Amino acid sequence: MAGIVGSADPLEATVRVLRVSKTFVGANEVRALDTISFHVGRGEFVSIIGPSGCGKSTLLRIVAGLIMPDPGGTVEVFGRLQTAPSNDIGVVFQTHNLLPWLTAEANIRLAAEVQRIDAGEIRERVEAILPVLKLESFRNSYPHQLSGGMRQRAALGQALVCQPQLLLLDEPFAALDALTRDQLNVELLRLWQAIRKTVILVTHSIAEAVFLADRVLVMSDRPGRVIQDLRVDLPRPRDPSSTKSRPDFSRYVVHLGTLMGLA
Amino acid sequence: MHAASRVRPFRATLERVAVFIVLAALWEWAVDIFAIKPYLLPALSSVLRSLWHNRMMLLEQALVTGGEIVLGYAAAVIGGVLMALAIFTWPLAYRMFYPVLVVFQGLPKIALAPLMIVWVGYGTSSKVLMAFLFAFFPVMITTLGGLAGTPEHLVEHFRAIRASPWTMFRRLRLPAALPSIMDGCKTAMPLAVIGAIVGEFVGSQRGLGYLILESNAQARTDLLFAALVAISLLAGLLYWAIELLARRVWWRAL
Repeated sequence: MAGIVGSADPLEATVRVLRVSKTFVGANEVRALDTISFHVGRGEFVSIIGPSGCGKSTLLRIVAGLIMPDPGGTVEVFGRLQTAPSNDIGVVFQTHNLLPWLTAEANIRLAAEVQRIDAGEIRERVEAILPVLKLESFRNSYPHQLSGGMRQRAALGQALVCQPQLLLLDEPFAALDALTRDQLNVELLRLWQAIRKTVILVTHSIAEAVFLADRVLVMSDRPGRVIQDLRVDLPRPRDPSSTKSRPDFSRYVVHLGTLMGLA
Repeated sequence: MHAASRVRPFRATLERVAVFIVLAALWEWAVDIFAIKPYLLPALSSVLRSLWHNRMMLLEQALVTGGEIVLGYAAAVIGGVLMALAIFTWPLAYRMFYPVLVVFQGLPKIALAPLMIVWVGYGTSSKVLMAFLFAFFPVMITTLGGLAGTPEHLVEHFRAIRASPWTMFRRLRLPAALPSIMDGCKTAMPLAVIGAIVGEFVGSQRGLGYLILESNAQARTDLLFAALVAISLLAGLLYWAIELLARRVWWRAL
Protein backbone atom coordinates (compact mmCIF):
# COMPACT_ATOMS: atom_id res chain seq x y z
CA MET A 1 0.00 0.00 0.00
CA ALA A 2 2.49 2.57 -1.18
CA GLY A 3 0.06 5.17 -2.51
CA ILE A 4 -1.29 8.09 -0.56
CA VAL A 5 -3.53 6.80 2.17
CA GLY A 6 -6.82 8.62 2.32
CA SER A 7 -7.38 11.70 4.40
CA ALA A 8 -9.31 14.90 4.46
CA ASP A 9 -9.05 17.23 1.47
CA PRO A 10 -5.29 17.33 0.79
CA LEU A 11 -5.44 21.11 0.23
CA GLU A 12 -6.49 21.48 3.85
CA ALA A 13 -3.68 19.25 5.05
CA THR A 14 -1.34 20.47 7.78
CA VAL A 15 1.10 17.64 7.29
CA ARG A 16 1.83 15.87 4.02
CA VAL A 17 4.15 12.89 4.21
CA LEU A 18 5.07 11.66 0.74
CA ARG A 19 6.97 8.44 0.04
CA VAL A 20 9.14 8.78 3.12
CA SER A 21 11.68 6.03 3.78
CA LYS A 22 14.46 5.96 6.33
CA THR A 23 17.48 3.73 6.42
CA PHE A 24 19.96 4.01 9.27
CA VAL A 25 23.44 3.36 8.04
CA GLY A 26 25.84 1.89 10.51
CA ALA A 27 27.54 -1.38 11.37
CA ASN A 28 24.40 -3.13 10.14
CA GLU A 29 22.00 -1.23 7.97
CA VAL A 30 18.49 -0.89 9.41
CA ARG A 31 15.56 0.02 7.19
CA ALA A 32 13.24 1.72 9.67
CA LEU A 33 10.57 3.16 7.37
CA ASP A 34 9.43 2.02 3.93
CA THR A 35 7.74 4.50 1.54
CA ILE A 36 5.21 5.99 3.93
CA SER A 37 2.64 8.49 2.66
CA PHE A 38 -0.27 10.14 4.47
CA HIS A 39 -1.90 13.50 5.08
CA VAL A 40 -3.07 15.01 8.30
CA GLY A 41 -5.85 17.59 8.02
CA ARG A 42 -5.96 20.89 9.86
CA GLY A 43 -7.20 20.42 13.40
CA GLU A 44 -7.20 16.66 13.08
CA PHE A 45 -6.16 14.30 15.89
CA VAL A 46 -4.27 11.38 14.38
CA SER A 47 -2.85 8.43 16.30
CA ILE A 48 -0.09 6.25 14.95
CA ILE A 49 0.10 2.77 16.44
CA GLY A 50 2.34 -0.15 15.70
CA PRO A 51 4.55 -2.77 17.34
CA SER A 52 7.59 -1.46 19.21
CA GLY A 53 10.55 -0.89 16.94
CA CYS A 54 8.38 -0.26 13.87
CA GLY A 55 9.76 3.23 13.36
CA LYS A 56 6.87 5.26 14.83
CA SER A 57 9.23 7.53 16.71
CA THR A 58 11.51 7.86 13.69
CA LEU A 59 8.52 8.96 11.62
CA LEU A 60 7.59 11.56 14.23
CA ARG A 61 11.15 12.89 14.38
CA ILE A 62 11.14 13.23 10.58
CA VAL A 63 7.88 15.20 10.73
CA ALA A 64 9.42 17.37 13.47
CA GLY A 65 12.40 18.10 11.23
CA LEU A 66 14.85 16.58 13.72
CA ILE A 67 16.07 13.95 11.25
CA MET A 68 15.89 13.91 7.46
CA PRO A 69 14.17 11.17 5.43
CA ASP A 70 16.03 9.25 2.72
CA PRO A 71 16.30 11.13 -0.60
CA GLY A 72 13.08 10.85 -2.60
CA GLY A 73 10.73 11.27 0.33
CA THR A 74 9.37 14.62 1.44
CA VAL A 75 7.48 16.05 4.39
CA GLU A 76 5.49 19.25 4.07
CA VAL A 77 4.18 21.05 7.12
CA PHE A 78 1.85 24.02 6.54
CA GLY A 79 2.76 23.81 2.87
CA ARG A 80 6.49 24.22 3.49
CA LEU A 81 9.07 21.55 2.87
CA GLN A 82 10.33 20.34 6.25
CA THR A 83 14.11 20.63 6.53
CA ALA A 84 14.66 21.80 10.12
CA PRO A 85 12.73 22.14 13.39
CA SER A 86 10.17 24.94 13.35
CA ASN A 87 8.50 27.21 15.89
CA ASP A 88 5.08 26.06 14.73
CA ILE A 89 5.68 22.53 15.99
CA GLY A 90 5.62 21.44 19.63
CA VAL A 91 7.11 18.06 20.49
CA VAL A 92 6.68 15.98 23.64
CA PHE A 93 8.74 12.83 24.03
CA GLN A 94 8.32 9.80 26.27
CA THR A 95 11.20 10.84 28.49
CA HIS A 96 10.33 14.33 29.68
CA ASN A 97 12.72 17.10 28.76
CA LEU A 98 12.64 19.03 32.00
CA LEU A 99 15.91 20.53 33.16
CA PRO A 100 16.57 19.40 36.76
CA TRP A 101 18.00 22.79 37.76
CA LEU A 102 14.91 24.77 36.74
CA THR A 103 11.52 24.96 38.46
CA ALA A 104 8.41 23.69 36.66
CA GLU A 105 7.53 27.25 35.70
CA ALA A 106 11.04 28.09 34.47
CA ASN A 107 11.05 24.88 32.45
CA ILE A 108 7.79 25.82 30.77
CA ARG A 109 9.10 29.32 30.02
CA LEU A 110 12.36 28.02 28.55
CA ALA A 111 11.30 27.34 24.96
CA ALA A 112 9.57 30.73 24.72
CA GLU A 113 12.64 32.49 26.15
CA VAL A 114 14.90 30.69 23.70
CA GLN A 115 12.71 31.97 20.88
CA ARG A 116 12.96 35.52 22.26
CA ILE A 117 9.27 35.99 22.81
CA ASP A 118 8.45 39.21 24.68
CA ALA A 119 8.72 38.78 28.48
CA GLY A 120 5.23 40.10 29.21
CA GLU A 121 3.78 37.83 26.57
CA ILE A 122 5.58 34.82 28.09
CA ARG A 123 4.20 35.70 31.52
CA GLU A 124 0.66 35.84 30.14
CA ARG A 125 1.01 32.51 28.36
CA VAL A 126 2.49 30.77 31.40
CA GLU A 127 -0.31 32.10 33.61
CA ALA A 128 -2.79 30.66 31.12
CA ILE A 129 -1.05 27.29 30.81
CA LEU A 130 -0.38 26.53 34.49
CA PRO A 131 -4.04 26.19 35.56
CA VAL A 132 -4.91 24.13 32.48
CA LEU A 133 -2.15 21.69 33.41
CA LYS A 134 -3.07 21.86 37.12
CA LEU A 135 0.45 22.94 37.99
CA GLU A 136 -0.35 26.27 39.67
CA SER A 137 0.63 25.18 43.16
CA PHE A 138 3.72 23.35 41.86
CA ARG A 139 5.13 26.16 39.73
CA ASN A 140 8.10 26.61 42.04
CA SER A 141 8.82 22.91 42.46
CA TYR A 142 11.81 21.29 40.79
CA PRO A 143 11.26 18.27 38.52
CA HIS A 144 12.53 15.78 41.12
CA GLN A 145 9.87 17.07 43.52
CA LEU A 146 7.06 16.40 41.02
CA SER A 147 5.19 13.14 40.44
CA GLY A 148 5.57 11.36 37.10
CA GLY A 149 2.22 12.65 35.91
CA MET A 150 3.02 16.25 36.87
CA ARG A 151 6.34 15.99 35.05
CA GLN A 152 4.63 14.93 31.83
CA ARG A 153 2.09 17.72 32.24
CA ALA A 154 4.96 20.19 32.62
CA ALA A 155 6.52 18.67 29.48
CA LEU A 156 3.23 19.33 27.69
CA GLY A 157 3.46 22.90 28.96
CA GLN A 158 6.95 23.19 27.47
CA ALA A 159 5.42 22.38 24.08
CA LEU A 160 2.33 24.58 24.50
CA VAL A 161 4.12 27.78 25.51
CA CYS A 162 5.22 28.47 21.94
CA GLN A 163 1.58 28.09 20.82
CA PRO A 164 2.40 25.57 18.10
CA GLN A 165 -0.10 24.84 15.34
CA LEU A 166 1.02 21.21 15.31
CA LEU A 167 1.65 19.03 18.36
CA LEU A 168 3.73 15.89 17.98
CA LEU A 169 3.42 13.54 20.95
CA ASP A 170 5.74 10.55 21.13
CA GLU A 171 4.22 8.19 23.73
CA PRO A 172 4.13 11.06 26.20
CA PHE A 173 2.43 9.07 28.94
CA ALA A 174 3.93 5.63 28.28
CA ALA A 175 6.15 5.64 31.35
CA LEU A 176 3.24 6.36 33.71
CA ASP A 177 1.00 3.97 35.60
CA ALA A 178 -2.31 3.07 33.91
CA LEU A 179 -4.45 5.24 36.18
CA THR A 180 -2.41 8.42 35.73
CA ARG A 181 -2.16 7.68 32.05
CA ASP A 182 -5.94 7.46 31.59
CA GLN A 183 -6.36 10.63 33.57
CA LEU A 184 -3.83 12.52 31.45
CA ASN A 185 -5.43 11.23 28.25
CA VAL A 186 -8.72 12.73 29.37
CA GLU A 187 -6.98 16.02 30.13
CA LEU A 188 -5.21 15.93 26.78
CA LEU A 189 -8.53 15.41 25.06
CA ARG A 190 -10.11 18.32 26.91
CA LEU A 191 -7.13 20.49 26.03
CA TRP A 192 -7.33 19.53 22.36
CA GLN A 193 -11.06 20.18 22.26
CA ALA A 194 -10.36 23.65 23.61
CA ILE A 195 -7.48 24.65 21.33
CA ARG A 196 -8.17 22.47 18.28
CA LYS A 197 -4.58 22.21 17.11
CA THR A 198 -3.46 19.44 14.82
CA VAL A 199 -2.11 16.54 16.90
CA ILE A 200 -0.14 13.47 15.90
CA LEU A 201 0.13 11.02 18.78
CA VAL A 202 2.41 8.00 18.65
CA THR A 203 1.30 5.24 21.00
CA HIS A 204 1.33 1.50 21.35
CA SER A 205 -1.99 1.37 23.15
CA ILE A 206 -4.90 0.57 20.85
CA ALA A 207 -7.57 1.73 23.31
CA GLU A 208 -5.75 5.04 23.82
CA ALA A 209 -5.46 5.58 20.06
CA VAL A 210 -9.16 4.88 19.42
CA PHE A 211 -10.35 6.90 22.41
CA LEU A 212 -8.43 10.03 21.43
CA ALA A 213 -8.12 10.13 17.67
CA ASP A 214 -10.13 11.01 14.58
CA ARG A 215 -7.95 8.63 12.62
CA VAL A 216 -5.67 5.79 13.50
CA LEU A 217 -2.71 4.91 11.28
CA VAL A 218 -1.54 1.35 11.82
CA MET A 219 2.07 0.58 11.08
CA SER A 220 3.59 -2.80 10.30
CA ASP A 221 6.66 -4.34 11.89
CA ARG A 222 10.05 -3.09 10.64
CA PRO A 223 10.47 -1.76 8.04
CA GLY A 224 7.49 0.35 9.05
CA ARG A 225 4.72 0.83 6.51
CA VAL A 226 1.23 2.19 6.97
CA ILE A 227 -0.97 -0.88 6.65
CA GLN A 228 -4.24 0.80 7.53
CA ASP A 229 -5.73 4.25 7.87
CA LEU A 230 -8.83 3.89 10.00
CA ARG A 231 -11.33 6.69 10.53
CA VAL A 232 -12.76 6.62 14.04
CA ASP A 233 -16.36 7.81 13.89
CA LEU A 234 -17.04 8.14 17.59
CA PRO A 235 -19.02 11.23 18.59
CA ARG A 236 -17.28 14.10 20.36
CA PRO A 237 -16.92 15.33 23.00
CA ARG A 238 -15.72 11.95 24.21
CA ASP A 239 -15.40 10.91 27.80
CA PRO A 240 -13.96 7.75 29.26
CA SER A 241 -17.10 6.11 30.63
CA SER A 242 -19.61 6.72 27.83
CA THR A 243 -17.22 6.51 24.86
CA LYS A 244 -15.45 3.37 26.05
CA SER A 245 -18.76 1.58 26.80
CA ARG A 246 -20.04 2.04 23.23
CA PRO A 247 -20.20 -1.13 21.14
CA ASP A 248 -18.49 0.59 18.18
CA PHE A 249 -15.57 1.56 20.43
CA SER A 250 -15.03 -2.14 21.18
CA ARG A 251 -15.39 -2.98 17.49
CA TYR A 252 -12.60 -0.53 16.59
CA VAL A 253 -10.36 -1.93 19.32
CA VAL A 254 -10.97 -5.54 18.26
CA HIS A 255 -10.48 -4.70 14.60
CA LEU A 256 -7.15 -2.96 15.24
CA GLY A 257 -6.07 -5.75 17.57
CA THR A 258 -6.71 -8.33 14.86
CA LEU A 259 -4.78 -6.20 12.38
CA MET A 260 -1.79 -6.08 14.69
CA GLY A 261 -1.96 -9.82 15.23
CA LEU A 262 -3.04 -9.61 18.84
CA ALA A 263 -6.35 -11.43 18.51
CA MET B 1 18.60 5.33 58.20
CA HIS B 2 22.07 4.77 59.57
CA ALA B 3 22.16 4.09 63.28
CA ALA B 4 24.75 6.79 63.99
CA SER B 5 22.58 9.57 62.59
CA ARG B 6 19.89 8.85 65.17
CA VAL B 7 22.26 9.70 68.02
CA ARG B 8 21.64 13.15 69.41
CA PRO B 9 24.02 15.83 68.03
CA PHE B 10 25.57 16.56 71.42
CA ARG B 11 26.52 12.94 71.99
CA ALA B 12 27.81 12.59 68.43
CA THR B 13 30.12 15.58 68.97
CA LEU B 14 31.22 14.16 72.30
CA GLU B 15 32.13 10.84 70.68
CA ARG B 16 34.21 12.51 68.01
CA VAL B 17 36.02 14.75 70.49
CA ALA B 18 36.63 11.77 72.78
CA VAL B 19 38.68 9.99 70.12
CA PHE B 20 40.91 13.04 69.71
CA ILE B 21 41.36 13.41 73.46
CA VAL B 22 42.37 9.76 73.86
CA LEU B 23 44.83 9.98 70.95
CA ALA B 24 46.31 13.21 72.36
CA ALA B 25 46.69 11.67 75.79
CA LEU B 26 48.38 8.56 74.34
CA TRP B 27 50.82 10.76 72.40
CA GLU B 28 51.74 12.87 75.44
CA TRP B 29 52.25 9.89 77.79
CA ALA B 30 53.95 7.60 75.29
CA VAL B 31 56.67 10.20 74.63
CA ASP B 32 57.18 10.48 78.37
CA ILE B 33 57.01 6.78 79.28
CA PHE B 34 59.22 5.51 76.44
CA ALA B 35 61.58 8.50 76.78
CA ILE B 36 61.44 9.26 73.07
CA LYS B 37 63.99 11.85 72.03
CA PRO B 38 62.35 15.21 71.17
CA TYR B 39 63.98 15.40 67.71
CA LEU B 40 62.24 12.09 66.83
CA LEU B 41 58.84 12.85 68.30
CA PRO B 42 58.22 15.88 70.50
CA ALA B 43 55.54 15.68 73.16
CA LEU B 44 52.16 17.07 72.17
CA SER B 45 52.54 19.81 74.79
CA SER B 46 55.78 21.07 73.24
CA VAL B 47 54.17 21.06 69.78
CA LEU B 48 51.31 23.14 71.16
CA ARG B 49 53.77 25.45 72.90
CA SER B 50 55.69 25.86 69.65
CA LEU B 51 52.41 26.56 67.82
CA TRP B 52 51.57 29.31 70.27
CA HIS B 53 55.03 30.92 70.37
CA ASN B 54 55.37 30.96 66.60
CA ARG B 55 51.78 31.80 65.81
CA MET B 56 52.50 35.05 63.96
CA MET B 57 55.35 33.52 61.97
CA LEU B 58 53.22 30.47 61.11
CA LEU B 59 50.37 32.69 60.01
CA GLU B 60 52.75 34.71 57.84
CA GLN B 61 54.17 31.59 56.18
CA ALA B 62 50.68 30.11 55.81
CA LEU B 63 49.60 33.25 53.96
CA VAL B 64 52.57 32.86 51.59
CA THR B 65 51.76 29.22 50.84
CA GLY B 66 48.03 29.91 50.80
CA GLY B 67 48.53 32.66 48.23
CA GLU B 68 50.54 30.32 46.00
CA ILE B 69 47.86 27.64 46.29
CA VAL B 70 44.95 29.97 45.57
CA LEU B 71 46.65 31.56 42.54
CA GLY B 72 47.72 28.20 41.06
CA TYR B 73 44.34 26.67 41.78
CA ALA B 74 42.38 29.54 40.25
CA ALA B 75 44.55 29.40 37.15
CA ALA B 76 44.04 25.62 36.98
CA VAL B 77 40.23 25.89 37.25
CA ILE B 78 40.00 28.65 34.65
CA GLY B 79 42.57 27.02 32.35
CA GLY B 80 41.14 23.53 32.80
CA VAL B 81 37.59 24.61 32.01
CA LEU B 82 38.69 26.70 29.01
CA MET B 83 40.90 23.93 27.64
CA ALA B 84 38.06 21.41 28.02
CA LEU B 85 35.71 23.82 26.23
CA ALA B 86 38.15 24.26 23.36
CA ILE B 87 38.71 20.53 23.04
CA PHE B 88 34.98 19.86 23.20
CA THR B 89 34.03 22.58 20.73
CA TRP B 90 36.70 22.21 18.06
CA PRO B 91 37.57 18.76 16.77
CA LEU B 92 40.86 20.22 15.56
CA ALA B 93 41.78 21.25 19.11
CA TYR B 94 40.85 17.76 20.26
CA ARG B 95 43.10 16.11 17.67
CA MET B 96 45.97 18.50 18.33
CA PHE B 97 46.01 18.98 22.07
CA TYR B 98 44.42 15.92 23.58
CA PRO B 99 47.35 13.51 22.91
CA VAL B 100 49.82 16.08 24.29
CA LEU B 101 47.68 16.54 27.40
CA VAL B 102 47.42 12.79 27.95
CA VAL B 103 51.21 12.48 27.79
CA PHE B 104 51.62 15.36 30.27
CA GLN B 105 48.98 13.87 32.53
CA GLY B 106 50.99 10.63 32.73
CA LEU B 107 54.16 12.51 33.66
CA PRO B 108 54.76 12.68 37.43
CA LYS B 109 54.34 16.39 38.11
CA ILE B 110 56.76 16.20 41.06
CA ALA B 111 59.55 15.44 38.60
CA LEU B 112 58.91 18.79 36.92
CA ALA B 113 59.52 20.85 40.09
CA PRO B 114 63.31 21.36 39.59
CA LEU B 115 62.66 22.37 35.99
CA MET B 116 60.09 24.94 37.07
CA ILE B 117 62.66 26.48 39.46
CA VAL B 118 65.19 26.66 36.60
CA TRP B 119 62.63 28.21 34.28
CA VAL B 120 60.82 30.74 36.44
CA GLY B 121 63.13 31.10 39.43
CA TYR B 122 62.96 30.73 43.21
CA GLY B 123 60.12 33.19 43.67
CA THR B 124 56.39 32.75 44.00
CA SER B 125 55.76 31.95 40.34
CA SER B 126 57.43 28.53 40.38
CA LYS B 127 55.17 27.44 43.31
CA VAL B 128 52.08 28.84 41.63
CA LEU B 129 53.07 26.94 38.51
CA MET B 130 53.48 23.70 40.48
CA ALA B 131 50.07 24.11 42.14
CA PHE B 132 48.64 24.79 38.67
CA LEU B 133 50.23 21.68 37.15
CA PHE B 134 48.87 19.45 39.91
CA ALA B 135 45.34 20.88 39.81
CA PHE B 136 44.86 21.42 36.07
CA PHE B 137 44.25 17.87 34.83
CA PRO B 138 41.44 16.75 37.13
CA VAL B 139 39.50 19.95 36.34
CA MET B 140 40.01 19.56 32.60
CA ILE B 141 39.15 15.85 32.50
CA THR B 142 35.96 16.18 34.59
CA THR B 143 34.81 19.24 32.64
CA LEU B 144 35.30 17.38 29.39
CA GLY B 145 33.38 14.40 30.78
CA GLY B 146 30.57 16.63 32.01
CA LEU B 147 30.21 18.43 28.67
CA ALA B 148 30.24 15.19 26.68
CA GLY B 149 27.79 13.56 29.10
CA THR B 150 24.87 15.92 28.42
CA PRO B 151 21.82 13.66 28.03
CA GLU B 152 21.10 13.12 24.33
CA HIS B 153 17.34 13.61 24.70
CA LEU B 154 17.88 17.08 26.14
CA VAL B 155 20.21 17.99 23.27
CA GLU B 156 17.46 16.89 20.88
CA HIS B 157 14.92 18.93 22.83
CA PHE B 158 17.07 22.04 22.46
CA ARG B 159 17.36 21.36 18.74
CA ALA B 160 13.58 21.02 18.56
CA ILE B 161 13.07 24.44 20.18
CA ARG B 162 15.66 25.83 17.75
CA ALA B 163 18.19 26.92 20.35
CA SER B 164 21.37 28.49 18.99
CA PRO B 165 24.69 26.76 19.81
CA TRP B 166 25.41 29.48 22.36
CA THR B 167 22.02 29.05 24.05
CA MET B 168 22.49 25.30 24.02
CA PHE B 169 25.83 25.78 25.76
CA ARG B 170 24.72 28.37 28.29
CA ARG B 171 21.37 26.90 29.24
CA LEU B 172 22.03 23.18 28.79
CA ARG B 173 25.60 21.94 28.48
CA LEU B 174 27.17 24.19 31.11
CA PRO B 175 24.62 23.58 33.90
CA ALA B 176 24.54 19.88 33.00
CA ALA B 177 28.34 19.74 33.31
CA LEU B 178 28.55 21.75 36.55
CA PRO B 179 28.22 18.77 38.93
CA SER B 180 31.20 17.06 37.24
CA ILE B 181 33.16 20.30 37.11
CA MET B 182 32.59 20.70 40.85
CA ASP B 183 33.84 17.16 41.45
CA GLY B 184 36.98 18.07 39.54
CA CYS B 185 37.40 21.24 41.59
CA LYS B 186 37.10 19.26 44.82
CA THR B 187 39.68 16.70 43.68
CA ALA B 188 42.02 19.46 42.50
CA MET B 189 42.15 21.45 45.75
CA PRO B 190 44.30 19.04 47.84
CA LEU B 191 46.47 18.48 44.76
CA ALA B 192 47.14 22.22 44.48
CA VAL B 193 48.26 22.16 48.13
CA ILE B 194 50.69 19.32 47.33
CA GLY B 195 51.95 21.21 44.28
CA ALA B 196 52.75 24.38 46.22
CA ILE B 197 54.50 22.46 49.06
CA VAL B 198 56.56 20.45 46.57
CA GLY B 199 57.53 23.69 44.86
CA GLU B 200 58.70 25.10 48.18
CA PHE B 201 60.62 21.92 49.00
CA VAL B 202 62.62 22.16 45.82
CA GLY B 203 63.70 25.74 46.25
CA SER B 204 62.42 28.66 48.28
CA GLN B 205 63.02 31.00 51.19
CA ARG B 206 59.43 31.32 52.34
CA GLY B 207 56.31 29.35 53.01
CA LEU B 208 55.26 26.37 55.14
CA GLY B 209 57.11 23.89 52.92
CA TYR B 210 60.32 25.88 53.42
CA LEU B 211 59.60 26.03 57.17
CA ILE B 212 59.32 22.23 57.32
CA LEU B 213 62.70 21.78 55.63
CA GLU B 214 64.29 24.46 57.83
CA SER B 215 63.02 23.07 61.13
CA ASN B 216 64.08 19.64 59.95
CA ALA B 217 67.61 20.86 59.27
CA GLN B 218 67.76 22.49 62.72
CA ALA B 219 66.31 19.37 64.38
CA ARG B 220 63.42 21.50 65.71
CA THR B 221 60.87 18.76 65.31
CA ASP B 222 58.34 20.59 67.50
CA LEU B 223 58.28 23.44 64.97
CA LEU B 224 58.07 20.92 62.13
CA PHE B 225 54.94 19.48 63.73
CA ALA B 226 53.55 22.97 64.25
CA ALA B 227 54.07 23.63 60.52
CA LEU B 228 52.29 20.36 59.72
CA VAL B 229 49.34 21.46 61.83
CA ALA B 230 49.31 24.81 60.02
CA ILE B 231 49.32 23.07 56.61
CA SER B 232 46.46 20.77 57.67
CA LEU B 233 44.41 23.74 58.84
CA LEU B 234 45.15 25.65 55.64
CA ALA B 235 44.26 22.69 53.39
CA GLY B 236 41.11 22.00 55.40
CA LEU B 237 40.00 25.62 55.18
CA LEU B 238 40.54 25.78 51.42
CA TYR B 239 38.71 22.49 50.84
CA TRP B 240 35.82 23.63 52.99
CA ALA B 241 35.49 26.81 50.90
CA ILE B 242 35.21 24.72 47.71
CA GLU B 243 32.79 22.34 49.41
CA LEU B 244 30.52 25.28 50.28
CA LEU B 245 30.62 26.46 46.68
CA ALA B 246 29.92 22.94 45.36
CA ARG B 247 26.81 22.70 47.52
CA ARG B 248 25.16 25.31 45.33
CA VAL B 249 25.25 22.77 42.49
CA TRP B 250 22.68 20.44 44.02
CA TRP B 251 21.20 18.89 40.90
CA ARG B 252 23.75 16.14 40.38
CA ALA B 253 22.38 12.72 39.42
CA LEU B 254 18.82 13.94 39.10
